[in-house]
Amino acid sequence: MADLLILPVLVPLLGGLLATALPVRSALVGTLAALATSLSGLSITLLVWLHGDLGTVLGGWGVPLGIGLSADGLSAALLAMASLVALAISIYAGSYFAGSAQARHFWPLWLLLWSALNGVFLAADLFNLYVMLELLGLSAAALGALTGKREAIAANLRYLLVGLLGSLTYLLGVALLYTAYGTLDIGLLGERLGPTPIAATALALMVSGLALKTALFPLHFWLPPAHANAPAPVSAALSALVVKASFYLILRLWTELFAPITDIGAATLLGLLGAGAVLWGSWRALRAQRLKLLAAYSTVAQIGYLFLFFPLLASLPPGTARDDLFAACVLMALTHGFAKAGFFLAAGLVQQKAGHDRISELGGVAQRMPATTFSIALAGSALVGLPPSGSFIGKWVLMRGAFETGQWWWLPVTVLGTLLAAAYVFRVLSRAFGLEPTPLQFVTNARTEIPALLLAFASVALLGLAAGPVWAVLGFGAAPA
Amino acid sequence: MKRDLALLLGILLALLAALLLWALHATLALEPGPRLAELASARLEQTGVSNPVTAVLLNYRAYDTLLELAVLLAALLGIWSLGPAPAGYQRSGPALAALVDWIVPLAILAGGYMLWVGGHAPGGAFQAGALLGAAGVILRLSGEPSAGLPGEPAQRWLVVLGAGVFALVGGGLLASGFGFLTYPPGQAKWLILLIESAATVAIGVTLTAAYVGGRPGSGTAHNGTGQSRTVQR
Repeated sequence: MADLLILPVLVPLLGGLLATALPVRSALVGTLAALATSLSGLSITLLVWLHGDLGTVLGGWGVPLGIGLSADGLSAALLAMASLVALAISIYAGSYFAGSAQARHFWPLWLLLWSALNGVFLAADLFNLYVMLELLGLSAAALGALTGKREAIAANLRYLLVGLLGSLTYLLGVALLYTAYGTLDIGLLGERLGPTPIAATALALMVSGLALKTALFPLHFWLPPAHANAPAPVSAALSALVVKASFYLILRLWTELFAPITDIGAATLLGLLGAGAVLWGSWRALRAQRLKLLAAYSTVAQIGYLFLFFPLLASLPPGTARDDLFAACVLMALTHGFAKAGFFLAAGLVQQKAGHDRISELGGVAQRMPATTFSIALAGSALVGLPPSGSFIGKWVLMRGAFETGQWWWLPVTVLGTLLAAAYVFRVLSRAFGLEPTPLQFVTNARTEIPALLLAFASVALLGLAAGPVWAVLGFGAAPA
Repeated sequence: MKRDLALLLGILLALLAALLLWALHATLALEPGPRLAELASARLEQTGVSNPVTAVLLNYRAYDTLLELAVLLAALLGIWSLGPAPAGYQRSGPALAALVDWIVPLAILAGGYMLWVGGHAPGGAFQAGALLGAAGVILRLSGEPSAGLPGEPAQRWLVVLGAGVFALVGGGLLASGFGFLTYPPGQAKWLILLIESAATVAIGVTLTAAYVGGRPGSGTAHNGTGQSRTVQR
């Protein structure tokens, strides 16, 4: 059964190769491969949910010679989110790129990206993670530049170079760990790792490399132009999924591998950077002139919230309270995945219809596309953290944790960030209440509007009203009422 | 002002470098823990090859190598997505052309040797593919616009050949109950040779196509009449 762990990596890889070889049929091959990949990812999640953690070592050599794959609750939760979001993006992309020359470039790179993404979630080997990060960064930057416009190419060349710097910094940390402890397997390394200066240096290198890739303030400078200038399905994938891969890795390394040496001081530093991200990202989103730039800055802010959990996790002993915080952090990451993907897909439709995405001139267009505007509203409410969205529960647990641990200074940050988010979401929505005629039908283009709507709906209802399964997959008790 | 900032940045970077050097020094001074190298040599006999590097790349850590081939492919796909290939160079003179006629077949021959020798001595698919790529680069430089590559449809199949055969062997082994990329005893050598041969061709074609620098087909298809557009170096 654990043999199946390779499938979420292998299926999109084979699909990507076939889509490269058959450019004329790339959309068909791509859509079928997307379905199969999504199915394989969801079945792994289901297996983990039903039977607990899975693990295998490829090649029949066992660790430390072979490369391990493993799936625990955290991997499974992110794998499920990626499977659903990427499937919706694929269906949308089939229609978005239809008849365009970009389709034959999109599908192979997109499937390779998906393969690397699943590879990151399932890897149990530090060097294998580096290879996955390389594949992820390279295909993401190439996809981001697909429009071929000058600013898109400039932004994504910067993204590529920044990503390379990030992964090389990570690799430097891995090299130190291998030299000191002689293994690359995360499990074995965890047994050998002690609070030594070398482990601390490796931690600093790996986390700062990954923080650069996940656009943690003030290392976020590359993200807004890269995400705002990509084609809509790519923006959705970059913001919802790609930055989550490096965040997932930080969370895993910080709370598992480096648990013996991460103390409250280091975690507070991450929390402070997160607070900076929340305030600065929300402020810039409020000031943004373009819809996609607004969404990109909102990603900077939402990544910031995830890092606010670190100092709270560090100051709590293992137990229900800490489990709740951990699950809330994952829940916020998942909610942001669905909400931001839905937001970007809807924004792409508005942009396609209007020919631009300047917020001040969107009124009429937004009103002629009720389903799309509704998607933006739903996704926006999840970004703000209105009940019943998943991020409402996430922020609730975050603020409760801040109270209980006495770290009250995270409260004003959360409140201010939420207010700013409400302001920038309503700034967009207010454009949809003009005097222009509203069409009778709700959905104008099913193949593109439905995926966006479903994603936005999932971020509000699926993860909000039914957050229990997230706790269950992570192996914790019941969700807080 | 700007110079002061540059100086400050330089000092900070030097401090960071010193810190890293110290960390590396401290790491190397440690009691050498268990190392993978000894373990890898100890089990070398079961890998089907006698070159430890090939054993690591194609057997112990074959999964990494499969993904490295995908990385190479992603880089080429990125290059292709940015536009058609620029026109080639001017046709070489008779002296260079005669030299190229010698060097290119020799490079291909040496590539084949590298591929075979990789089983027991330094060599292997990446080195052999690099030689094939070098042959392509020389052809392109000497004025052959296609750099010796076939048309777009064949080129697309060739660049996915390496990762494709690799993944199919892995998937086939998984389906027949051995586990992904777990070679059955006794067949490792031939499966590795099969994968390496496919990878050599794919790496050679990918490197050449990356050097050509753009989508095959439309842009490069200038047929003699395109001479006026050729770049002179």
